[in-house]
Amino acid sequence: MSGFWYGTALQWKLDMRSKSLLVTCYLVPLIFFLLMGGIFTSIMPEMKNTLIPAMIVMSVSMGAFIGLPPSLIETYASDIKKVYKANGVPLYLGLTAMFLSAFTHLMIMCMILFFLAPILFEAALPANFPLFFLALAIYILVSLSIGCVLGLAVKNQSKLTMIAQLVFLPSIMLSGIMFPIDLLPEAFEIIGKIFPAYWGYRLMLKDGFTLENLWCLIFVFIIALTVCSLLLKRKK
Amino acid sequence: MKYAIQVSGLKKSYGSQPVLKGLDFQIASGEIFALLGVNGAGKTTALECIEGLKEYDGGSITVNGKMGIQLQSSSLPAHIKPPEAIKLFAKWNKAEIDDSLLHALGIEEIAKKQYAQLSTGQKRRLHLALALIGNPDIVILDEPTAGLDVEARLSLHEQIRKLKTLGKTILLASHDMAEVEALCDRIAILNDGHIVFCGTASELTEKIGKKYLIHMKTQQGTKTLETDNIEDTLLSLLTRLKQTGDKVVDIKIDRGTLEEHFIEMARRLKA
Repeated sequence: MSGFWYGTALQWKLDMRSKSLLVTCYLVPLIFFLLMGGIFTSIMPEMKNTLIPAMIVMSVSMGAFIGLPPSLIETYASDIKKVYKANGVPLYLGLTAMFLSAFTHLMIMCMILFFLAPILFEAALPANFPLFFLALAIYILVSLSIGCVLGLAVKNQSKLTMIAQLVFLPSIMLSGIMFPIDLLPEAFEIIGKIFPAYWGYRLMLKDGFTLENLWCLIFVFIIALTVCSLLLKRKK
Repeated sequence: MKYAIQVSGLKKSYGSQPVLKGLDFQIASGEIFALLGVNGAGKTTALECIEGLKEYDGGSITVNGKMGIQLQSSSLPAHIKPPEAIKLFAKWNKAEIDDSLLHALGIEEIAKKQYAQLSTGQKRRLHLALALIGNPDIVILDEPTAGLDVEARLSLHEQIRKLKTLGKTILLASHDMAEVEALCDRIAILNDGHIVFCGTASELTEKIGKKYLIHMKTQQGTKTLETDNIEDTLLSLLTRLKQTGDKVVDIKIDRGTLEEHFIEMARRLKA
């Protein structure tokens, strides 16, 4: 096994040992799903049609914006970075390994929601499985890329906690996963469209896999990757 | 003579603040060489320039051989276990893991602990193991025993001596004068961005002046005398004792530690 793949597999193991990842990627999203799934489907039975994408948007946002960045800060804003550099481990390893590991964890969590939602709350399954999972993968990738920007750009954990909330909360509140977006004032609707959660949610809905919903996500992903590579270069 | 490291006219500034103002020194292959200096003298900056972790503004650095680096402040992910870190670093360096080295550094004893659970001494041992993984020719140690207890420090000294017997060149920065005196072939003292002394510990003693301290305990009390002329002072002391009828209980002569000499040199430079 090459250094890269060993490093990625090791990161997966380290994430499993980390209680914070367990909380942000699994525990909180699961509790949120169990509570809100019950409430939403009781108050608004029509939400059964959108429950799976809605809960997925919440879980992915939580894992990507709240769960991933602290691990990046632990590596890139500390002496770990120097130790890696001094001992011949390339700086991109931490970023890519954490990205891939977080992708896998979020995918597992989404699969749990995907299988539990119909059993617990009679949620409707997507009509087109391949397109749904493709949309899900795209949304996770985009969210993680934003999480990476946060983790590389912010230099300390306390600042990160505040800044991550500025991305996480609007993603949840203004994306339309909790209530229809047309109920919101126009200004909030416009703000909601800035966040990938808005487009990711629509991409996963029935007949939502359209270029209109996709291009914004791709655009954000490219920008985020460019910023990440610049930030990583600066850290050298 | 083949040098492992050659530093010529090394200059480095942080903004408008010059830290290294033209360092010159050479380290021979197989030598243990120490960089000494008070806090802020630029030791770590000089090491980081040599290690390639910092860009420098002027001068040149030539390194002949593969480097293994132990940094002053080191860290690893909190949940990583020592064998995992060693395997990760070995894979990136395409190096074989030397089990005897791991045994010598006591890595097996801490194999099941996560990094965050290791003591300072155990972390130092692990970082030394990581620095040695690629079988480097030159080992750079920045404050290797800082924060260690006496036992851990002595154990690390033993490892450093073993490295010398294996033909490795060792460059270390340290505040611990006793450590430098015990381990190093040569030392360089860094002050205000310049090397103000480069040579052996005994050459430093010569430079400062041959001062001896005589601690004498007699039936009537204890005396400590400082002298440049040990023979005459002792003779006069013993003659006086004989005249007064006093008797020697204990007598100890020392030449002052490297630390005392270093402090003396720092004091002179400040003056």
